[in-house]
Amino acid sequence: MTASVALRRSGRQGLSNPRGRRGRVESLTGWAFVTPATVIIGLFGAAPIIWSLVLSFTNDNGLTSGSAFIGVRNYKALAHDPVVSQAIEHTVVYTALFVPGTMLVGLFLAVAMNRKIRFMWFYRTAAYATMAISTISEALVFIWLFDPSFGIVNYIFSLLHIPQQAFLNSPGEALYVIVVMTIWGWSGFAVVIYLAALQGIPQDLVEAAAIDGAGRWETFRRITLPLLSPASLFLAVWLTINALQLFDEVYLSTRGGPLGATTVLVYYLFEQAFQTNFNFGYASAIAYLLFIVILVVTAIQFRVGRRFTYYRS
Amino acid sequence: MGTYRLRQSPFGAPPARRLLCALAVIGVSALAACGSGSGATSGGSKSIQIWEGWTGAEAKAFAHLVAEYQATHPGVKVSSLFVNNDYTLQKVQTAVAGGNPPDIAYLYGSWAPNVAKLSGVVTLTNVVKRPSVNWNDFWVGERDVATVNGRVIGVPALVDNLAVVYNKALFAKAHLPLPGPNWTWPQFVADARKLTNPAIKQFGTAYVTPGSEDTVWHWEALLWAAGGQILNSSNTKAAFDSRAGLASLNTLRTMAVTDHSMYLDPTDSAYANLFNSGKIGMLVTGPWDLSGFPNVHYGVQIMPSFPGTNGGHQTISGPDNWVVFNNGASRVKTAEDFILWLTAPAQVKYFSLKTGDLPIRQSVGTTGFNAQMDAALPDVSTFTTNLGNVRQARPQIATYPQISQAIGTMVVSVLLGKSQPGPALAAAAAKVNQILAGSG
Amino acid sequence: MTVVPEAREMSTAGAVSGVRARTTMVRPRRRLPFSPWHLVLIPATIVLLFPFVWLIVTSIETPAEALRFPPDLTPHVIRLQNYPDALAAAPFGRFFLNSAVVAVTTVICNLVLCAAAGYAFARFRFLGRTALFIVMMATLMVPFQVTMIPQFIITKWLGVHLLAGAGIGHIGALIVPNAATAFGVFFLRQFFRTLPIEYEEAALVDGANRLAVLWRVVLPLSAPALATLAALTFLDSWNNFLWPLIAINSTAASTLPLGLATFQGAHSTEWTLLMAGNVMSLAPMMVVFLIAQRYFVRSVAATGLTGI
Repeated sequence: MTASVALRRSGRQGLSNPRGRRGRVESLTGWAFVTPATVIIGLFGAAPIIWSLVLSFTNDNGLTSGSAFIGVRNYKALAHDPVVSQAIEHTVVYTALFVPGTMLVGLFLAVAMNRKIRFMWFYRTAAYATMAISTISEALVFIWLFDPSFGIVNYIFSLLHIPQQAFLNSPGEALYVIVVMTIWGWSGFAVVIYLAALQGIPQDLVEAAAIDGAGRWETFRRITLPLLSPASLFLAVWLTINALQLFDEVYLSTRGGPLGATTVLVYYLFEQAFQTNFNFGYASAIAYLLFIVILVVTAIQFRVGRRFTYYRS
Repeated sequence: MGTYRLRQSPFGAPPARRLLCALAVIGVSALAACGSGSGATSGGSKSIQIWEGWTGAEAKAFAHLVAEYQATHPGVKVSSLFVNNDYTLQKVQTAVAGGNPPDIAYLYGSWAPNVAKLSGVVTLTNVVKRPSVNWNDFWVGERDVATVNGRVIGVPALVDNLAVVYNKALFAKAHLPLPGPNWTWPQFVADARKLTNPAIKQFGTAYVTPGSEDTVWHWEALLWAAGGQILNSSNTKAAFDSRAGLASLNTLRTMAVTDHSMYLDPTDSAYANLFNSGKIGMLVTGPWDLSGFPNVHYGVQIMPSFPGTNGGHQTISGPDNWVVFNNGASRVKTAEDFILWLTAPAQVKYFSLKTGDLPIRQSVGTTGFNAQMDAALPDVSTFTTNLGNVRQARPQIATYPQISQAIGTMVVSVLLGKSQPGPALAAAAAKVNQILAGSG
Repeated sequence: MTVVPEAREMSTAGAVSGVRARTTMVRPRRRLPFSPWHLVLIPATIVLLFPFVWLIVTSIETPAEALRFPPDLTPHVIRLQNYPDALAAAPFGRFFLNSAVVAVTTVICNLVLCAAAGYAFARFRFLGRTALFIVMMATLMVPFQVTMIPQFIITKWLGVHLLAGAGIGHIGALIVPNAATAFGVFFLRQFFRTLPIEYEEAALVDGANRLAVLWRVVLPLSAPALATLAALTFLDSWNNFLWPLIAINSTAASTLPLGLATFQGAHSTEWTLLMAGNVMSLAPMMVVFLIAQRYFVRSVAATGLTGI
């Protein structure tokens, strides 16, 4: 059996037609399976979102109890707010670097760890541990590592005759430091996901390719990667959703600075809601703008993903 | 490929079912058994809940006081919940929106004008007028911050101010005379320059540059010392775009950009440890940092002055408030009684001695008391007497946080060398005027 | 040319080194006494674990040595007393218990509810399937800062009108809103779609109903994904800070992150105690992961598929 035959693009996933009599039973069963989770997610996830949508059309300040409907004024203000367009830019740049970076690091490490050599449990646990560490500890260590005067990175730069950088003191560089910090923090997640997926790849396919004379890299490119594509899609979607909502690391290190260089959308809306403006309505409008962006990006990812992901059926 | 037949599920049904049942029982009993967790929002009119962020020695001293109050006031229960001060406003806002406010909460003074808008905040104007309270015994900076448009919305909880903490050993090594009480900002700048040694990564001073209020209030102290004002007296226009503004900003700029004697900390976390490691000569900071300097022989001196101005050795203070919320008349009464007892001179004296926090009442800061404080925390009494140098407070208006942000951006951009003080001041003043105009 | 698979040992405990299929044409002969992958993994692990070194070193330092910058990773005085001190500073036993109850219950609820829903999305065709899935995914796309006040109000309403133990102030309020997450549904849906459908079809043909198919056929095959979801959900629940901060009003119902926050004042932090607390907080999460790791491999062997 050649490896290539074993794969088929995602084919039928359902087991019967929803419109026939068996289909109606299946519909009901489907809803039965889905209902408990739907109730929880609907009540605590969807309802607050609708609520916030309503808030975005008011001038609620989160303090006084009366608030008035002001129509789309918040959204109009959004369109003219220069900080919003900067925040969008920062968020997009961050996401564009973070998502591929984390996936590549995670894939590389997972492939390295997916073999039976000594201490494998230790390496895997180390990867997972990076997810377990509290964000404040992570932030403090990276602040130290990237300190312009006392940090290790500039020290290594000095040994390599690279000029000293200002890192978190530089509006041009601070965002990239956050990228590095968060790739470190999330690569463990990518490793765990990819490892779980790699475990599901049948070894006979890999061996068959080897029999056919394929080299290691070719096997990887033509067998392993396509079989990993569902995991890759999942990671791409989930990492993007999280990257576009970056907040904690910014709050715990640069507070959106220096000079707003690391102000991403969620940090800006947090400031608007709880720190400077106390304008909940405006913050909700920003959140909805972000929501639309994330929805569109995710939809695109699923669309594109459908063409490239292989499910074995 | 034939049809694959599976072996029996490795779980086997009965053990798994038993496991699930056991876990379901645990889950349900967990939900049921949590009646203990409801806090003091129920429990009668003599049971109040206070949200505070005391840690370490402060937490112990506070717990002791609470116990003492309960012992001497039978029937009253004060339950305190730790809430990190940075998050208290968010928690209070959510609780108020949900109809579940605490009885008393510790809230930053800089939030006061916005806290005043919260529904349920109890007006204490008449309460503090009682002779037994002796409202004027509280430092003027505290009273200013507890009052919004003539309405007293809180009782002082904490007071501090900025002064200069310096490393005696580094001064000795550089053969510099120690800062004296009549020193000036030009002297500070010169000292900083002499204390800077790039070869051993030693800096004369430091400044925090996240652009937050921490960045701003350090500069405002200089602005006031230079004889300037933040806003005009009716809080309708920016007033910092002045000679005083220029002088104060240039002072900082000289150190940061020209002399490179100023360590810039964008994260607000490294400068204190750096000072404790002997890498910084002088810090403009408050009494809360003193306990973080066990490795340094430090001294404390009042802020320098600008020669040729009437600003004197002015400093800035950042008091915080206990705010009372309305959970019914009897609980309000219990809360008021407790908070007035807590801030009475005897308790203030106890708390300050145990924690090193400055006494919030002027009458407590006697010479004998100050000596006692110094015995526990060297030189902290300089901060206490420095409270006499607090002449004014930041504008108590709801838009101050936005103004602060504009000023913060200005200060950081000058310190990072991205703009010159003159244009930066003008731009920030324009922004502030816009903000003030927008609020009507 | 034939493939000669060597004996495969499935256990990861006491790992056997260097067992792999041998083909004479492709694999180069080994020059090192250990797998060359170690040369990659060791530096990578150092980078990954570096912050933990700092964490642990700070947790056994004296406060005087901890208050240094740059941090010095070679303390002169070791102070193990930080650990008992941290435990004594606040009722950490209670916090551990609360965190454990919340995390374990949340994990179980998630596994059950998300597996059911994920399976339905993966295999069933029912009216409104796509729309419902989109709505679920949408709940992941709005930041918590915006939804926390409505969530608070809804939770309060639930506690007053439906189930007292799930209302504000009770740890049920920490469990119920997270009992099922769109992440879990999404994750398991993706995973179920990668399973070959033949097993389920065969079981259906044999007369099993859909629930039995899920329980007896799909779930056993899904142990890696379930273990992964369990580990991730546990982690999320254990480390959750902002929602417990808002929903819990008493020390008795507080969880571990809230307890650790008591070491962080507005102006000064007790670093040594905080890091000791962090280290102790990490331990259960690592235990959970080590347990979950075993399921990654065990399930594959149990189902009889040739695998790694």
